[in-house]
Order: sequence, then structure tokens, then C-alpha cells
Amino acid sequence: MYFDVDGKQVFATTGGKPFDKDRPAVLFLHGSGLDHTFWGLHSRFFAFRNYAVLVPDLPGHTNSEGPALTSIEAMADWLNDVVVALDARDISLVAHSQGCLMALEFASRYPGHVRSISFVASGLATPVNDVLLDAAENNPDAAIAMMLGWGFGSAGQLHQGPIPGNSMVAGGRKVMRGNTPTALVTDLKACNAYDNGKQAAAKIACPVQVIVAGKDRMVPARATAELIEHLNEPVVTVIAKSGHMLPQEAPDQCRSLLQAFIFSNNPAT
Amino acid sequence: MSRFLNFDTLSLHAGQTVDPEHGARAAPIYQTTSYVFPDTDTASSIFNLERGGHAYSRITNPTVGVLEQRIAALEDGSAAVCTSSGMAATFCAIIAILSQGDHIVASTQMYGGNISLMKNTLPRFGITTSFVDPTDTDGFRNAIQDNTKLIYGELIGNPGLDILDLEAIAKIGSDHHVPFMVDATFNTPYLCRCFDYGANMTIHSVTKWMGGHGAAIGGVVVDGGNFDWGATDKYPTITEPYAPFSGINLWEEFGPSAFATRIRAEAMRDIGPSMSPMNAFLLLQGIETLSLRMDKHLSNTMELLDYLSDHEQVSWVNHPSLPSHSSHDLARKYLPKGAGSIVSFGVEGGREAGKAFIENVELASHLANVGDAKTLIIHPATTTHSRIDADALAAAGITEDMVRLSVGLEDVTDIKADFENGFRAAKRLAKL
Repeated sequence: MYFDVDGKQVFATTGGKPFDKDRPAVLFLHGSGLDHTFWGLHSRFFAFRNYAVLVPDLPGHTNSEGPALTSIEAMADWLNDVVVALDARDISLVAHSQGCLMALEFASRYPGHVRSISFVASGLATPVNDVLLDAAENNPDAAIAMMLGWGFGSAGQLHQGPIPGNSMVAGGRKVMRGNTPTALVTDLKACNAYDNGKQAAAKIACPVQVIVAGKDRMVPARATAELIEHLNEPVVTVIAKSGHMLPQEAPDQCRSLLQAFIFSNNPAT
Repeated sequence: MSRFLNFDTLSLHAGQTVDPEHGARAAPIYQTTSYVFPDTDTASSIFNLERGGHAYSRITNPTVGVLEQRIAALEDGSAAVCTSSGMAATFCAIIAILSQGDHIVASTQMYGGNISLMKNTLPRFGITTSFVDPTDTDGFRNAIQDNTKLIYGELIGNPGLDILDLEAIAKIGSDHHVPFMVDATFNTPYLCRCFDYGANMTIHSVTKWMGGHGAAIGGVVVDGGNFDWGATDKYPTITEPYAPFSGINLWEEFGPSAFATRIRAEAMRDIGPSMSPMNAFLLLQGIETLSLRMDKHLSNTMELLDYLSDHEQVSWVNHPSLPSHSSHDLARKYLPKGAGSIVSFGVEGGREAGKAFIENVELASHLANVGDAKTLIIHPATTTHSRIDADALAAAGITEDMVRLSVGLEDVTDIKADFENGFRAAKRLAKL
């Protein structure tokens, strides 16, 4: 569906059911250069189990009007505008990579309606190396190749995927190509500049879970350890064989973990 | 692995997870109709497209799935759907986006089955086609109507071998928000990946070079994932709610694989032209050696082009690799490794001489197929293209004396020796 935020069109999928503001909400946040389709194997599941599901494209990504936002803090404020525009309440945030930084910042700034947060493949910060930043600016195809090459584990490189006939890595490339030349590099710069994770984590009081990709080459293990250390009693699970793109590489395991955590902390009747 | 794998590696490995139970190295043949669900919630979520998984082999099958993901990988497509034949693939792809009152712009130079489908069968369901000379790129633009929903052609036309100007035609499609579907059977992704030049979907009869052994019939539709279905309201089957799946909006939910998902959710479910697991296994064995075979097809083709061009019993030879061919420059652009292994030629003496040639070769098989490991010949005017009328024959560049040759992998010396027998018979006929 499309709706207006600050006079600009925002696109979000709702998992195949109309967004019902009176139900507990699950709000999925995608990572750098990606879009709503990243969460396709999770969003529909919750929508058909009595949750109001929202998976927005960030400004300047795929179907949402630009420009892309230049800082994690601005993304958190924009997310609050989305929540206000839709009158969403009792929100479970489910976030991947860059989306996790957004979730940290949003929940610390606007804690009122957040019932739980699920961090997937994340660190307390996400520094981006200069080679990738330079490629994103000057040679987006090379940057996409790096991110997908590092992002997917061996299953992704072999074009396997949980949906019969679908190639995760090729599908990801199509989405990311659509989000160049500006959205990808803007996202990466925003991630690289974000340094408020420690302070934001300290303000989060709701239940949190961290799902760790055992073969994550995008987020250093040290950064994930710092996130876990600074959150308040997180439920931590490691999916040993998955790479950074865990929600796509191991969707059934990821969905089961999200289901158990969200059903318990933000039940929908 | 931390980088994208190359073509030969993908030909061997893409799409396959090594059997976790027994460690079988080859892709196992899942010869089963159906699959046991662990619980009702999993069952319902598979049926509701909430998660991946197999329910019934008419729609998905693990062995077929390996082949689909392997071909998607080789084509750099976002998804692929295998079908019982190449014609089934074409039909399923068309009905996924076209309905009554819609229109296709298609090349005149196509396999006779494709022409018959568009000229005879689809009009019965209210879908019409304007046919355009594939060398007349502007003709594609001029033929587009308000109700045009698809541009269709074969990269290497059958049997005239004219080459489509992919980039130019893709631009026309893009300008009009009309997807460009290419039958890539003759080129395979080894010779040309059509998505790199702007095509939006490809069709293959994998019966041909992809399989290569002539032992299994099959087809595939590959979704390029590069068409913006949401930019127009012309494609409601992709962008509007689909009632059988709780009103799912495929474009919103599946993005770059929305088109493939429509085929899976509708054509495979409601019509059911599914590929058998056994055929998928056989075709996987063929694809493992695709590049090796194609290189040999091409080298044999070049030797035979020299041989035929110099032969006194040959009145003309047609292949895009020849500088005399009208598509030679396009072939060099889009098919730099080689323009395929189909050659057409005329036997001196016309129709009867051609018949004598075909009936007096022994190594080359006289049959209605192409892309086999074995050399094949046929007379298109009386066989593969016999069901189309004289005007369409002429438009397709088919003459009475034309012999279509699909160059195989035999020792090329033996192919030449075999052809000499045929030419001697044709010459004897001419002297009578």
C-alpha cells in the first residue's frame, strides 16, 4: 500500500492482509540497498496470524519516494512519522543489519509503543570499509557484488533458496541494482557514521532478542558481541551455518525464533 | 566462497544442496507425487505462499527445483519455472500476463509451433499477434498497439537464423512499458545471456542444447526480475490481488520474481504442464557439460561452414557467422563465442535434390529436433513448418530447397564423409 509521510509517498507491503491499526503490529526493517521483498518469507506469516504487518521501503528505495535519508537518526525519526501516520500501536520491531541501527535509535527515541525488538545479523555499530564505500559511490555493480558475495553464505552463492526455483542472490542483485546510484551509497554512509548505539541500547527497556548468523562476514563478531553486551537481557540464538542474509538463507529457523519471541512478548488474539 | 561463481562451476553445482541424509553427490530423483507435512500449520503456510516448500509435484518438486535454480543461475534470472516442454513454457509465460483482448508483437522467424500458437490457438482465446520481420527493428515499434502486452522473438530465428537486435527491441519495450520475452533455445545462456541486453524473460526448450542428449523433453521460463510491473496498470495478473491465494499481490510480495510466481501459482496449479523428476535429472546431467558441448558444436559448425561454402552441390549456405549473412554484425555483438550450431543450406537441384541428400546420409539423423549431441537434418517446408501457410513460410525465409542442419558433436571428418554420400546421390539425380 501507499501512504503519505511528510508529503512524500511511502510504499509498504502488509503481508497480504489490510493493515489493521487495532491489532498488535509487526514492523519489519530492511538493510542497506534492499527493500520490502527481503522479508517476504516472514511478513505474510505474521499477517495471517492476526498481526498488523508493515514492511516499508525506506525513502528512495524501490517504491518509496526519495531522497534516501542520510543518517540513522533521520531514519528513526522518519519511522516514527510512519508509525504516527498509520496509528500503529503495540509494535514488535524486526530488523536486519542497517535496520537494526534504525530500530535501536527509534526505540530509544520513541519507546512508547514498542513491545519487543528482534535484531537479526546486527552489531552495535556497522562500520563500512573504504573499499565498499568507494565502490558504492563510483561503481555500484561492484559494490553490490561485494555485498552479495560477503552477505550470502555458500547456499546463496550456489543460487539455492528456500522457494523452489528462486535464486536468492540473483533476486537480491535485481533489487539492489534498482536502488542505485544513490540509495545504496547513502545507506552505507549512514551506517558508517552511526555511533550512538551504546547510548541508544542503554535506553531500551522492552524485551529484545538477537539472532546471530554464524557465518556473518558483513558484521564483525566483535560488533555483535558489543550489541549483546549493551542490551538488557537479550535472548540470543546463533544460526551456525547462515551468512549475513539470514532471513533469506535460513527463513524457517528465523521465522520460528521470531514466532516464539513475538507470540510470547506481544501476543495477538 | 566469497564471490560469484563462474559459468562452468554453476553448470555443475548451482541449485543443489548435497543430500543431507545419504550424501549422494548427484541430485537425487525425488520420484514422488506429494510430501508429508510435519504439522498443519506448516501445511497451511506452504499452501498460502507464506514459506517455501513442496506440497505436490505438479507445482514443485525437489529434483525439478535443482534444475530450475541451476538455469536461473546460468541466466542470471531471479527465478525459473520448468515445464513439460518448451511449448508449454511459452504458453504458460504468455497466459501469465495476457488475457482476452490483449496483443503480442512477435518475430516472423520462429519455430513453427510458436507461430501456430500465436496465429491459430491464442486467437481462440482473444489474444492476437502482429508478426514483424526480425530484421526490421522499427517494425516492432510500429506494431505496438494500446493493448500490446508482450514483445516476443527468438534471438536466433528459426530457421532463417536472423538475429534480434536485443538492446534496440528491449528499448522499444521499455519505452512502452511492454516486457520483452526471448526464446533463447538456440543460443543457451552460454552463448548469450539475454537479460544483460535488456530482455525481461527467456524461454528455453531445454530438450535441445541445454539437455543435449535428446533423451528428455522439457521447457523453462526464466524471470529476469528486471521489469517494473508496478509502473503501469496494464498487468493486473501481477499487480492486482489474486483471489485463489487470499488476494495476494504478487508484485508487492515477490518483487523480482513476481512473474515466475504467477506461473507457479496459476499455470502449474490450474493447468499442470509439469516436468517429471526423471526428466529433470536427465536434463541436469546434460547441463553439467553445456559449455564443453557448445564449444564443440561451434567448432564443428565452423568447419562445416567452410566445407559447405566450397561444395559444388551446395547452392547457398546460411549462418550468422558468415560475413554474407544480414545479421553478421548483430551476431558478433550478441554472440561473440559463436552464433549457434544450426546451419541452413540449399542443395543444387532444388526440392528433389534436397530430398535425395536427406535420404542418402546415414550418420546424420533425419528427424524433427535440434540441439542433439548427434547431427540432425530436416526439410522444414514439409515438416517443422508444414502447418503454416505459404505467406508465413516466405516470411520465415523458408524455401523449398532448404535443408536445416543441426551440427552435432561427431568427428567432423565423419560428418563430411557422410554428407558426401548425400551430395553424390543428389548429383546423380540431377544427371537423370
